[in-house]
Amino acid sequence: MKIVLLGMNHRTAPVDVREHFASDEPGALLQKLVDRPEIVEATLLSTCNRVEVVVTTENPDGAKYALYEFFARDLANGEGPAAGALEELTYLRQGREAVEHVFRVASSIDSMVVGEPQILGQVKDAYREATEAGVAGAVLSRLFQRAFATAKRVKNETGIAQRPVSVARVAVDLAKQIFETLEDKSALLIGAGDMIEAALIALHDHGLGERKVANRTVANAEALAERFGGTAHGLDELDSLLSDSDIVLTCVGGDTPLLTRARIKRSLKGRRGRPLFLIDIGVPRNVDPAVHKLDSAYLYDLDDLQEVAAANEKERRRESERAERIVYEEREQFEGWMVALQAVPTIRNLRDRAESIRSGEIDRFAGRLRLEGGQNEILEQLTRSIVNKLMHSPIAQLRDETDREAGLIRLEEARRLFGLDATSDSDRDASRAPLDDSENELGEYADAEATENVAQASPRLEESND
Amino acid sequence: MYALQYMAAALYLATGVAAVLGLALPAPKVLHGARWGLLLGAAVQFAAFATLHRLDPAPSLTDLGYAVAVMSWLAVLFTLLLLARIRLPGFVTPVAFVAFLATFGATLHRPDVIAEQTGTTIPHAHVLLASAGLAALGVAGLAGFFFLIEHRSLKKRRSVARRVAMPSLEALDRVNRVALSMGFPLLSLGVITGALWLDARSGSLWSGSLHETWMLIAWLIYLGLVVLRFVGKQGARQAAASAVAGFSFLIFAVLGAGVVS
Repeated sequence: MKIVLLGMNHRTAPVDVREHFASDEPGALLQKLVDRPEIVEATLLSTCNRVEVVVTTENPDGAKYALYEFFARDLANGEGPAAGALEELTYLRQGREAVEHVFRVASSIDSMVVGEPQILGQVKDAYREATEAGVAGAVLSRLFQRAFATAKRVKNETGIAQRPVSVARVAVDLAKQIFETLEDKSALLIGAGDMIEAALIALHDHGLGERKVANRTVANAEALAERFGGTAHGLDELDSLLSDSDIVLTCVGGDTPLLTRARIKRSLKGRRGRPLFLIDIGVPRNVDPAVHKLDSAYLYDLDDLQEVAAANEKERRRESERAERIVYEEREQFEGWMVALQAVPTIRNLRDRAESIRSGEIDRFAGRLRLEGGQNEILEQLTRSIVNKLMHSPIAQLRDETDREAGLIRLEEARRLFGLDATSDSDRDASRAPLDDSENELGEYADAEATENVAQASPRLEESND
Repeated sequence: MYALQYMAAALYLATGVAAVLGLALPAPKVLHGARWGLLLGAAVQFAAFATLHRLDPAPSLTDLGYAVAVMSWLAVLFTLLLLARIRLPGFVTPVAFVAFLATFGATLHRPDVIAEQTGTTIPHAHVLLASAGLAALGVAGLAGFFFLIEHRSLKKRRSVARRVAMPSLEALDRVNRVALSMGFPLLSLGVITGALWLDARSGSLWSGSLHETWMLIAWLIYLGLVVLRFVGKQGARQAAASAVAGFSFLIFAVLGAGVVS
């Protein structure tokens, strides 16, 4: 079984191309994809920045072709670039590269904004949709469970998601360095544009107490204030609003600073030393830079915030190097599981072959021995015991090999040594069958999770086995 | 007694190291857990004080080394109380190291003179009250020191480059305010009981010694700071700077003046 991934993202295709491939209801499309004989399991991840399809297949070349066709015909509905033109707009990953890619995407290392938290939820949704559509089986279930675990490790063991990288979040982070809590704080937002709204959302998410929106056009302030449970004011009320506010965020037009040093100094007088945090994201600036020199006033403008955001993003990228090591470790583990999975049909064949030889020989000699009563049973036990002991070592070696290359070589040797190649077709069928826990061919890899995944999430594998 | 003191010092040191690791890694859970180390250290130190009387000769609580140990223990208790009420990530770190130095320093100090027997509890009351006042004002000074660093960092606009959030300015200012409001009355009681102790010993409330003179000046300085802070309109930064300067002077008055004399 091989994993193949075809995708396009913000680096390989512009948004006007990507939008043709976006899909809101992947269930039916995935069903269509797995109806193809080359595809066994499939998932589809569709976000603003990427469209990716991950499949498992026994025929990677056929699957590749099927995926390009799926992109051109089913996802883009014939409206996007033709299948032939897709190669330049997409990336194709197979085997360990595909595994690594899925882990990197789930861990947000491959995101436009490294460490952004949304992607993990989107990957989880994609997996859930595939499971609900009945197109995610044993291998993809395992792959995505490991991807989620990898993302969790990356989040916990690195600082990849710790530093804010948007201007609004940086502002909130700064506010938290000044104030113990935002719950009892009052924010004055001057302006009613998109930047103000983004900042208001960020402050609202962090439990800001009171929100006041002041704008030249009071109607616009009212619209914004209404959405976030605040109050609307005109700019003529600024002086009284300032003295009651702990956080002031401004983004309005105008050539001269709206908040001068003298004005802020006046408002600070009534605050008895309580700090005032001013965020000026207006261009030209709305707050006189000299305000920052006032003792209890902390002023950050757009450049300051962007500088911090850029520094944080740089730091996140540095942290992503540590994350890559985690991805590598997890990929190695998954590879080990895949090798063990590939060994299952061979082990099964080996046992079947040994058993058929044993029972055949018993049948051959049963007449000559003229055994009575319990002697037959003893002979059965004796021969079974001999076969089991003989098979124990080769089976254990096949089962315990975790290195992919060495594992495949060992499987090949076992097939050749025990003359199993003639049964290679049945091997392939067996590989699609759900794993039998009682046989325990996977050994340490047949943990509860894998067994559950196989038992519950592979109706398609069972069908193919039927 | 000494074994317990060493153990308490080791626990404070381990707590400080764990807190530093928590800040550097960053591991907020380690940082949060460090407060339990502080609590354990305080418990062991309490056991050390409780067995003080078993020593032969039993050192008096009025001995300077033990007074410093008591002061650090009270500072740890005060910090633990603050940590339960105010968000102070990272504040455990300096407190643990200061407690380690004070506790370990006390174990190095061996009183060679048995304390005088006055037959009253005033000397002990003086040491306990003055130590509690010093502990609280020490915490205020530490919070002030942190505040000044934080303030400077925000003014330089490089504050977000940290890995783990330190206490906010507001939290540090609150600590400063609470510590000052508790520390000053305790210090005042310490000064009063000191005068009463002197009176019981020499029949006079004032002997004009260097220690008394500097302590009186320190008390007057703190009186001024309290007035400025709670009656006047002193800003948070000035209050922080005052707390640092005030405590530095107080430490000189208690320890330095004795050395100078």
